[in-house]
Parts: sequence; C-alpha cells; structure tokens
Amino acid sequence: MKRRWMFLFLMLISLLFLSGCWSKKELPELAIISAVGIDKNEEGKFVKTHQFINPNNVAGGLQGGGGGQGPSVSVYTSTGDNILEAHFRASTKVSRRLYHSHANLLVISEEVAREEGIQDILDAFERDPEIRTTMTIVIAKGRKAGDIITSLTSIDRIPAEKVNKTLETTEKMFGEHIKVSIQESISILESSGRELVITGFRQKGDSEKGKKLENIQNSELDATLEADGLAIFKEGKLIDWFHDEDARGVVWILDKVKETNVNIDWEKKKDAIAYQVIRQKTKVSADVKNGKPAITIHVRAEGDIREVVVPVDLTDPKVIANIEKGLGKEIEKELKDSINLAQKNKSDIFGFGETVQRSYPDAWRKMKNNWHDVTFPDLKVNVKVEAFIRRTGLRTNSYLSQMEINR
Amino acid sequence: MEKAKINAYQLFVLIVLFELGSALMVPLAIEAKQDAWLVILIGMGGGLFLYLIYYSLYYYYPDIPSTEYVQKIMGTTLGRIIAFFYVVYFVYLAARVLRNFGEMLVTFAYPETPLFVINALLIVLVIYTVRKGIEVLSRTGEFLFVFMSFLLISASILVVVGGIIDSNNLRPILADGIQPVMKTVLMHNLYFPFGEVVVFTMILPYLNRSEKAKRTGLMAIGLCGLILSLITAVNISVLGVSLVSRSQYPLLSTIQTVEVAGFLERLDVYFVLAVVIGVFVKIAVFFYVAMEGAANLFAVKESARLVVPIGVVILILSIAVASNFSEFFQEEHRFVHFYVHLPFQVIIPIFLLIIAFFKNRKKSKG
Repeated sequence: MKRRWMFLFLMLISLLFLSGCWSKKELPELAIISAVGIDKNEEGKFVKTHQFINPNNVAGGLQGGGGGQGPSVSVYTSTGDNILEAHFRASTKVSRRLYHSHANLLVISEEVAREEGIQDILDAFERDPEIRTTMTIVIAKGRKAGDIITSLTSIDRIPAEKVNKTLETTEKMFGEHIKVSIQESISILESSGRELVITGFRQKGDSEKGKKLENIQNSELDATLEADGLAIFKEGKLIDWFHDEDARGVVWILDKVKETNVNIDWEKKKDAIAYQVIRQKTKVSADVKNGKPAITIHVRAEGDIREVVVPVDLTDPKVIANIEKGLGKEIEKELKDSINLAQKNKSDIFGFGETVQRSYPDAWRKMKNNWHDVTFPDLKVNVKVEAFIRRTGLRTNSYLSQMEINR
Repeated sequence: MEKAKINAYQLFVLIVLFELGSALMVPLAIEAKQDAWLVILIGMGGGLFLYLIYYSLYYYYPDIPSTEYVQKIMGTTLGRIIAFFYVVYFVYLAARVLRNFGEMLVTFAYPETPLFVINALLIVLVIYTVRKGIEVLSRTGEFLFVFMSFLLISASILVVVGGIIDSNNLRPILADGIQPVMKTVLMHNLYFPFGEVVVFTMILPYLNRSEKAKRTGLMAIGLCGLILSLITAVNISVLGVSLVSRSQYPLLSTIQTVEVAGFLERLDVYFVLAVVIGVFVKIAVFFYVAMEGAANLFAVKESARLVVPIGVVILILSIAVASNFSEFFQEEHRFVHFYVHLPFQVIIPIFLLIIAFFKNRKKSKG
C-alpha cells in the first residue's frame, strides 16, 4: 500500500518536472533576429536596427514565388543610451520576444566607428549568453548601418546571409576582404601588438528603393550590397580605408589569402599576364638586434597562368622562370605598399608586435608602450616572395603567338 | 563503514571523473597566462606526490577510513575533532561544487530559473545515488565514464578538424621565468583539482585488492593531469590568453567557436553533458565520504539515514556560501585554495603520516 502511494507521488512529481521547461521559448513566440545595426542619432543615443526574419516569406522562396507575399525580413529600430537599453526598447515595437541566438551579422556605421570607436559596443554582445560571439562584424561604409540592414537582396533572401556568404566567398576567391568575428575583434582590441581590420560594406544605389520589395523584382537591383575596402582601426577608432591591392596586401600578410589573381606587365604591355594563386603560405618572423626589431615576411605562392594577352612562349621553362620572378616582385611590391600605408597610419594591423612579443618577450616589454607610434612606423620589414607557376591551363601558348608568326 | 567492495577499475574511474568534475568548467591556472598548461602538469606532479602520502596512510591502516585512523593516530579526543573538521570540509566542498555548477547553468542556459531550483534538482539526484551506497556510485561512474570518454574524444576531433587552434597563442613559453608558474602551482593548482583526491582516503578501504591502490590512483591522477593540461592548452590556443582569463567558462567558449563543415556548430551541449557528468560524480563522492565520516564519528549504525539531512545542509550551504558570483569566485581563489585546502590536503596528512610512521615502527619492534 505504502509503495503504491509512493509510486503515485513520484508520478505527480514527474508530471511537474517533465511536462515543460522553466523558461520555454516556443518558436511562434520568438522574433528571430538575423542582423543588428548600430548607429548614433543627433542626441548621441545609440540607434539599434534589428533585422527580423519573416519565416513565411523565406520558405520556398528559391523555387520562385512559393513563399508569402511580403519581404523576407522586417526591420525595426530602437534607441537607447547603451546597447542593452536600445535592445529592450525594441520590445515596444515588436510583438514577440527578441531572440538573438541566430543573429550572425553586426553592422556598425562608419560614423560611429570613426568618432566613438567600437569598443563601447562590443561588451554587450560578448557578455550575453544568448548572443554568439562568432557573429561577423562589418562596417557600413559611408552610410548608416540601418541602410545596410534594411536593404533587400536577391539570390540569398536574408540580407544577413547575403553579407556573410559574400564575405566568405570573396575571402576565398579574391582575398581583398576578411571575415572578422566579434570574438576575434575583441582579442585584437585587447592586444597591445596588433590593431583591428574590419571589412567595409557599402550600399550602392538609393537606400529608399532598397527597402521596397520591387527592388528584388528587377534583374539589376536598385540598391545592392557589396564588400568594399578594409577599415583600418587605431585604438578602436576607424582611421582609414584600404582598397584593392593595398587591402589584399593586408589580407596576404595576415595569411588569410587562399586564392587570388595577380597581374604582371610583360614587354611594355600593362597587366598582360594573369596569374591565379591556388595556394599560398605566408610566414612572419621577428628578429631583435641591439634592441631594434626587424620583421621578415616570407611568402610562398603556387598557381597557374590563367590569361595572357601578349604573345609569350609559355613552353619555355626560362620564360616561366622569368614570369615567376616578375610575379614575386609584383607581390612583394603589393605587400610593401600596404605596409608603408599602415606605417603612415601608425597602426600595426599586421600584428608584427605580437610576433615580436612571441619570440622576444623581454625586448617587447620595453617597446610595448610606444610600439604603434614610434617603433612600428620606422620598422624595417623584409619581404621575400617566391611565386611558382605550376600549370598553364588547357593550352600552352596563346593563339596570339600563332597570329604573330602567321602575320 | 558499509559492507561493500569496489574494484581497481571502478576506483580509477571514480578518481578520473572526480578530478575532471568542476575543473573542466572553470579557467584553470590562468594566473600563469600562456603557461597554464605547464602549471597543470607540474601541479599533477604535486598531486602524485600527495597521493603517495595518502597511500602511505592507507598502507598503515588498510581497513579503516581516514576519519577512523585519525582517532588511532592522534588519540580519541583530538582525532575526533580533526575527523569532524574533515567532515565539515567535505560538506563545504560539495556545496561549493554544487554552487559552481548551478551558477554555470543559470548564467549560460537558464537565466530566469532560480539557482535554488537547479541546485535542488541535482542534489535530489545525488541523494538518491549516495543512498544506494558506494557500489552503485562506482557502477554509475563506470557507465558515465564511457560517455565522458566519447565526449572528450569526439570534441577533440571536432576542435582539431574545425581548424580553430592557433598554437601561436601559447607563445612565448615561460616569458616571465619559472617563478609565476611555480607560484600558481603552490597557490592554486596543487590543491584544485589535484589535492582534492584527499577524499579518497575515505574510499580506499573499500578497494577489494589493496595492492592495486597505488598504481590505480597514480594512473588516474596522471591521466587527469594530461587531459586538463591539454584542454587548457586548447582553450588558450583557440581563445587567446586574455579571453580565457576573462571567461567564466572557457571550455564553453571554445566549444562555441567550433564550426565544422557549416553544420556541426553550436555544440554547447557537449560542454554541459561533460560538466553534468563530472560534477555529479564529484558532489556524490564528497557527499558520500561526508556521510560515512559523520556516521562513523557519531556512531550512527545505518549511515544512509544521514543522507537527507546532509543533503539539505549541502543544498542550503550552496546557496548561502556567497551572495554573488564574483564573491564566490574571489573566495575560492583568495581564501579556499590556500587557507582551507593547504591544511586539509597537505599539512594534516603529512603530520599524520609522520606520527603513524613512528607509532608503527615502535609496534613492529615490540
């Protein structure tokens, strides 16, 4: 009898504990945030722009019109004296609980990054257990962060996805931009021997048109988002933009380049030979002699010839060797240009300081305090580049060579 | 002492899970910055030495737990006082581990659930297990050990495959010399987690083949030292020193960083499972020895009758031990490691061993 009561009691207890969870969050009660933008308004308050996913309008979208009628995302903005206040204030506008776990993009406007710096923003993101620090950061170049967030995109229906995927693809294929997460940014901000680089994103076209659904019904969008330049920081504040080759030089020294193309001049013709890097390895090492640091960068690149617009004999190993030499010089110049530009900005975005610290911790202690302002701008950097051509594609010589012979 | 026997493998498993317990969760030895892994290895050496001391005491008194042989060595009155303090010490540590675990769940997963509820649920489970005795606890340990091994092995594979390890973060090695390393060993790491094997002085008498005690214990501590050192090294190389030192739960952050093939990500459950297993065994072991010690001390015939009262004490103590997490953490670092662990884990056992040595020499001569 006693056992029976015990059994009943246990059943009731299980009912209590197993029937549900304490802080349950049902899917229909959540507003899933995909991206967050940070701006400042005239009063100096933070403006937080949230991009929410409209689940109905995303599903089936790729099959062409299977989804709902509205846009795939909705955007709400809210203001506050700090990030958290702006976050909670958004609940006055959104009917559901704000759910942060799936947000994977943080956009910070150039204005905020330039004037206030980004260091006041990131703590809230790092501390919150719901937010992932693997979230990507980008800088809204020349526009408000809100414009990037509100812009609708095609192919990838969720703008946050589009930005992330674009970054991943271009980092892999072209090597002028890098994907930086909140976690990486914070560890660079903390480091005394390195400064931050974040990719810029730009909205091209009319931001008002970008918000409208008609935008993605055109084949050429009225407003598009594109990765544009690297934002260079000093002590958490944006100070300059690097573009094109300078930007690639930075990515290259950070050893983040996977594939990219390099053009060299040949026999007075500009950019006559296009070389595609298939794999590369960059090693940065430091030396300290008599208290003076020096950096050596060693690049080893392998790749193929992908385009030739001059008649050149690619079957001749000597010519190949010459092209390799030319490529080495071209890459070396690119890297040196970016180093010079960074030295002019007095911002060690390459982490040379960290390299010195790792190999010479004692010497580093003396240089640490004025590294960026005194030591780094005059730092001697040796660049050694070895470029190897492995293949020339499906053809040996170009038809241009044959045309020249026949003429 | 209940009539029960455990075998050498079960002892091994219990020590391993016990040592990993909460040590997996918190930043270990991060005072020594990027040399933390080295601190843990040296601390492990110290742990092996401490285990030899405990083993020698066991060698003199193979059939009785430490709360009993203290009374033989120091005389009944003084021995009882020391044994009583040991019981309090075990209860206190159980409460601290419970609190630490509850804080972790509240911070990371259940922000709206009261700490008391989480702690109460775990202690109910532990009460149930401890009531069943040491044999059941060891068999549970054997079972959980399989899980734990699976978690550790697959998590290591994921971390390596994820390509997030940057071994540069471990350099420079010994930048400030050996001094900060040794200081961290002596101030913290020797006692937590390695010195905590002192609780096994209460469990060794249950071992069915006493000649295996030495080898098993040393192997278990060695394995834990290697695992913890490796985990710390991975944490630092993935997150960097400063992030590890600012993290409440660095292993969690490391696991969250893993992204393999675009879909193996957000593996937080790995961390939670490993910690639940470890913490469960750790609290259960502390709880069990406290219960046995108290039963022995106050001549309670059926030690299982003490299980609910001690459980309630641990639960309430876990809530009362600190009013916020910062206080809890500082207390652990500034006070508990040096002023509580050092006497209970090192000074008293060495003192006991010296007296036991002379007493037993006299005996064998006579």
